Amino acid sequence: MILARLALRNLMRQRRRTALTLMVVVAGFLALSLAGGFMAQTFQGLADAAIRGGLGHLQVMPKDSMEGDEAQSLEKALPDGEALAARLREDPAVMEVLPRIQFMGLLSSGAKSVAFLGTAVNPVLEPRFMACTEALKGGIQASGGTGSQWLSADSAAREVILGVGLARALGATVGSSLTLMSTTRDGALNAVDVEVAGLQDLGLRELNDRFLTVSLATADQLLDAGAARSRLSVVLRRPEHTAAEQARLQVLLPETFVKPWFELASFYRQVKLLYFAIFGFMGLVLFLVVLLATANTLLMSVMERVREFGILRAMGLQPGQLLFLLQWEGALLGLMGSVLGLAATLLLRTGLNVLHLQMPAPPGTSHGYELNIHFVPGVYALVAVGLQMTIQVSALFPGLKAARLRIVEALRHV
Amino acid sequence: MLELRQITRAYELGGERAGVFAVSLEVPKGCLAVLAGPSGSGKTTLLQLAGLLDVPDEGEVRLDGEAVSALSEKARCDLRLRKLGFVFQAFNLVPVLSALENVMLPLQLQGVTDEEARRRAGSALERVGLADRRHHRPDQLSGGQQQRAAIARALAPDPLLVLADEPTASLDHAHGGPLMDLMAELAQERGVTFLVASHDPSVISRAHRVFRLRDGKLIGEEVAR
Repeated sequence: MILARLALRNLMRQRRRTALTLMVVVAGFLALSLAGGFMAQTFQGLADAAIRGGLGHLQVMPKDSMEGDEAQSLEKALPDGEALAARLREDPAVMEVLPRIQFMGLLSSGAKSVAFLGTAVNPVLEPRFMACTEALKGGIQASGGTGSQWLSADSAAREVILGVGLARALGATVGSSLTLMSTTRDGALNAVDVEVAGLQDLGLRELNDRFLTVSLATADQLLDAGAARSRLSVVLRRPEHTAAEQARLQVLLPETFVKPWFELASFYRQVKLLYFAIFGFMGLVLFLVVLLATANTLLMSVMERVREFGILRAMGLQPGQLLFLLQWEGALLGLMGSVLGLAATLLLRTGLNVLHLQMPAPPGTSHGYELNIHFVPGVYALVAVGLQMTIQVSALFPGLKAARLRIVEALRHV
Repeated sequence: MLELRQITRAYELGGERAGVFAVSLEVPKGCLAVLAGPSGSGKTTLLQLAGLLDVPDEGEVRLDGEAVSALSEKARCDLRLRKLGFVFQAFNLVPVLSALENVMLPLQLQGVTDEEARRRAGSALERVGLADRRHHRPDQLSGGQQQRAAIARALAPDPLLVLADEPTASLDHAHGGPLMDLMAELAQERGVTFLVASHDPSVISRAHRVFRLRDGKLIGEEVAR
């Protein structure tokens, strides 16, 4: 421990220089840990959007659903989806199963027709587990969206909820009458008159321009679906066990594909990769800055203490112990920097979150979000370890220089 | 105790060949020996070779009958730590440590417990008359006090041999004399062997044995009566 004490005293000897180096380490810690908190917020937001946007934690789908497109509605479907859903609901790990039908066709106002992508959902279960009503609130802000409400639970009701872009293209507002056209499972053309119950803003312009939602009963009438369902969205009781439950349910349902949400949410995966690339590069630059700053400090310190190192070596200190002394100095710099960096991070994080800053809409999306930098101890630990390793590496060169000094030359050094 | 046999260590200095050449000498236990000679005569080079800080080109250094100059770097480090003490011209205390901590340092490097090191360092400082300045940093001590602290540091681990390079060069006559008296007393009382490089007459006059050097060669040896 004598070397540790000596290292601490040496750092305290040049307080201003040590403080400047510490500032670099603290700035590095702050930048990386705030970036980590911001990434965590983004990933959490995208994960929630994917899961509560309709995917659920798991999706059960027909085996051939990932290959090619459907020539007609429900060509690739779970033939008795409702029975499968009922079976899954009995599983203790499953909280709820939301059957869905995906279909396409034309939506006509009489004067104009627009192609759509439709999803049919259970109007009772959907608002309980998915964020559909939140998207509805966004639609209210669009022109003609006033009075938007969710689909009626009455199976006889023929209602539709339109993406705001789709409604704009057709000049439709809440209460407008439109005609849905599609092909049944047998390939026959069919049409159903529907009333616009609401407009929804799904956050992505491309979706808003094409997307509509109807009840399963309406879709059944349009597509002659019977018990067939395109997919089942499974909501788990313990979302953290998604991967394990996916593997278990896949064994139970070999005739289907059971996919976790993170394999299907391509936007989530792309953003994650992009963020890792951007922040990874930023981290690399910051680590390099810390490496150079600490190496410079320690090297200057070595150059100023050549004679002192000569004395220590003359007293019997082994070259390796000098290397170790410099490693201790680096270790203490890293430790102090991380502790101060953590304190600064927590302070700044709280300050930024209290300000309720509005972030601009990310590319491809239609609305911004509130900045809420997450508390992520794992990231703080990772940053601290990364910085510590960087500083230890930076202390190697000055340490080796000190260890290789010839004693007689060091003693002559002025 | 210390024996140098035909020691040669040559180096280039300003285009000329300098160093020490075929020097042989012997310092018995408890002796205060002085390497005397003008600047450039090879005093410091010989002291560094005797202190295992450098390796001779030729010849042999023997300590307590054992050939030590050809030992590995690690073994020489260990030997310096356990059997040798050094006092340098410019005091060379570690500036961030107090007088007590400076004296404790070689003991702690030997693995002595903090408590024991504190006791032995305190006792060494008391012996050199610095007990009341033990918690002062080097920059809070006078030159004479710093050199006394350096002697205490060299003596605390109970070395066989203490090597001192111009220990009075940075001190005035009023401080230099008493310092040499202290070394002579320690040699007599505790049987510590001192090898001192100096051209200071007040140092030479107190020596038990004087080795005179010129141009890297031993030109004479005097033994005090």
